[in-house]
Amino acid sequence: MGEERSKLDMEDPPHVHIGLGKNELMLKTFLMMCIIAFASVIVMGLDALIHILLAIGTVLIVHSSIYSYQLWKGIEPTYKSPASPLVAGMIVGLAMPIAAPFEVTVGVALLTILVFKYGQGRYFKRKYLNPAAASKVLLLLLLSIKTLNEGLIFHTHHLELNLMTAEGLQNSMWIFSRETLPIIGTELSPAQSLFLWQTHGWIGGASSLVVLVVGAISAYWLRYKWRIIVSTLVTMTVLAAGTGLYLGGDPILRIAFHVFTGSVIFLIFFMATEPQSTPLTENSQYVFGISLAVLTFALQLLNVLGGSIIALVILNMATPYLDKIGIKTPYGHKGSKGGA
Amino acid sequence: MPTDEEHVHHFKEEGGFEMDISMKRESIDDPFTEIPPAEKMIIFLRQHIGRETEPLVKKGDPVRYGQKIGDIENGGPMVVPVHSPVNGTVKAIKKLRHPISQELEKAFIIHTEDHGTDPFYEPMNFMGNSREELIDRVREAGIVGLGGASFPTHLKLSEEKKISHLIINAKESDPNLACDVRLMMEKGQEMIQGIKLMGKMLKVDNILFATRTKKGEVPGFEKLLKKNGIQISRIRPNYSVGSERLLVKEVLDREVPSKGFPPSVGAVVHNVATAYAVSKAVLDGESLVSRGLTLYSKETGGKNLWVRMGTPIEHVLNRCRTTGKKFERIAIGSIMMGPTIPNASYPVMKATSGITAFTRSEPSPYKKQKPCIRCGYCNTVCPVDIYPVLIMEAEKRDDRKMIKKYHAEDCIDCGLCSYVCPSYIKLTPHLRKASFIASKDG
Repeated sequence: MGEERSKLDMEDPPHVHIGLGKNELMLKTFLMMCIIAFASVIVMGLDALIHILLAIGTVLIVHSSIYSYQLWKGIEPTYKSPASPLVAGMIVGLAMPIAAPFEVTVGVALLTILVFKYGQGRYFKRKYLNPAAASKVLLLLLLSIKTLNEGLIFHTHHLELNLMTAEGLQNSMWIFSRETLPIIGTELSPAQSLFLWQTHGWIGGASSLVVLVVGAISAYWLRYKWRIIVSTLVTMTVLAAGTGLYLGGDPILRIAFHVFTGSVIFLIFFMATEPQSTPLTENSQYVFGISLAVLTFALQLLNVLGGSIIALVILNMATPYLDKIGIKTPYGHKGSKGGA
Repeated sequence: MPTDEEHVHHFKEEGGFEMDISMKRESIDDPFTEIPPAEKMIIFLRQHIGRETEPLVKKGDPVRYGQKIGDIENGGPMVVPVHSPVNGTVKAIKKLRHPISQELEKAFIIHTEDHGTDPFYEPMNFMGNSREELIDRVREAGIVGLGGASFPTHLKLSEEKKISHLIINAKESDPNLACDVRLMMEKGQEMIQGIKLMGKMLKVDNILFATRTKKGEVPGFEKLLKKNGIQISRIRPNYSVGSERLLVKEVLDREVPSKGFPPSVGAVVHNVATAYAVSKAVLDGESLVSRGLTLYSKETGGKNLWVRMGTPIEHVLNRCRTTGKKFERIAIGSIMMGPTIPNASYPVMKATSGITAFTRSEPSPYKKQKPCIRCGYCNTVCPVDIYPVLIMEAEKRDDRKMIKKYHAEDCIDCGLCSYVCPSYIKLTPHLRKASFIASKDG
């Protein structure tokens, strides 16, 4: 019929789209993390800026090289836009402890972009592990081959802490004491410092308050997997409060320490919600979040501070299995046994 | 349009995703314009869900406006006749590609001789005819559901189960359509009569008029509903709630079982435009040979048109001072669920509630497809709580066990999962295939 007519494109429905694509999503995430980076540089100083720039720069150089090579070879570029590599670089920068040597940051950034972003995507057709977390875990494991002290190159003092007693926790807080809010000049208690102004630990967690606000806005605006955020935060808080009550001591300090250290608060919002390596099903997201909190808490008590990345990598590996459970009962089956 | 309230500008879907309805808003104030028939009309012998009808006239026969030209004697309840939309002559009966099934199916080519619209059937009396006579007229007039599904209306009206509620679906949730609201504004009286006739045929006292319009948006029609004792049920401005099964849940809080239909929970749902067609068939003796539709394109803006079935879309576009050659894609019906046509010579059919033409500067966004990032937007927004991406993956690896486990058969084909996908993946075709597999495997 109508062969003389001009041909039209044939397409399956739908014919319109909401307009929020992956690149926009990544760029918006990057912009939100820029606010956290800005706060971190204010709190932690120039070193924080150098870490962040080194991480982003390394990732972008590698991405640009691979992109140019792919174009030169006539291969479809893996990432046509630098948005996703930018986010990966920023996460590496913000997930580094301020005390880390700069070369470690470069090493983590290299592993992130080469092995766990490009490599993982290419060979597994999906990113099972969070690239930044997996890179950091891998690098620390490699460094730990010689001695554990090497692996804990930037926080060997953690091994001497005793978080299993009220006194031990109190004595461990020296690192968060003597912080003073600039301009106002108020001296902060360790709990206040953990919430507002930390010069120790992950760069991204320099101000838990900023992470909480920016993270909550991002989660709402960009539809992050909020169930993971809520369940991890709630579980960590309950565990910390429970431990505080059981072991004695200041429960507020206990909660502040376990929930607001940078390795926890930044990871919960911006790493544990990474879409590809976390569960799709709603109930599994709760399971993921609760398990992440329990594992992280246990590692913290064992002095593996920053162990949240280890917990995250373990749960990333469990994600394909978690996706098989917790399937909602669809409409039309609610009256029957239904579900899966 | 007189109103004392602000219109709805977005539909808010599950998870807070917003659907832009600017196409609808652009069309809603445009009154119906009647498009005269084309010189050559193309009438497919199947314009409903069910078997293809058989020609009742042959090449060279003269036909009258509204005359039955295709049917099957004793063909079963799923057969709905087709009628001539013009006074003219049958020029040919040939196999053409059907715009919906995409299969070769029989169609009449009718040469239009005049534009007369004298009804073919005798008008019936509201009170003086039995339920069976009324239902028979609905069938004889070729009425199908005009919301897009084309389900035989007489079949839904002859439901023998006890029905507690007749729900009139005026949700018109598709973001490109405004013709139902226009019909409420312009043909309110006839529509009310159609609704009452449907109530009589179903022996139902409780009639609910389900609409997303706000109070005061269609004031004249609201007064008519009130005067006739028809209750208005204002429902959430979500796109997918317009689906028949979900509408029953929304309005009556009754869940239609999987693979079941609304009568199983005591409800029957009819589209508002179908009610108008029933009124015209019974009270005026009019066959279903024309309908209201919304045309939208950046070239023409939003327009509500009254078009006879069989009118080539190119003719409709020409009457709106444009041509199919200016467009890259033309979608018929809903832009969320309707197919595209390969060229503009395809005709308007009973299910054509809309024509949306995209210019060359509006290429399909789905051409930018990327790998899935497993963000979960698709399952967040899914109105029937299934997992589109998991079903797609199972379908790709032909994993029938998982297709069943994920209840692919419950997909209502709404397209929302594709609409929100940040990787621009068209999940809908995979879901359709999976749904077919799941239904076949039982």
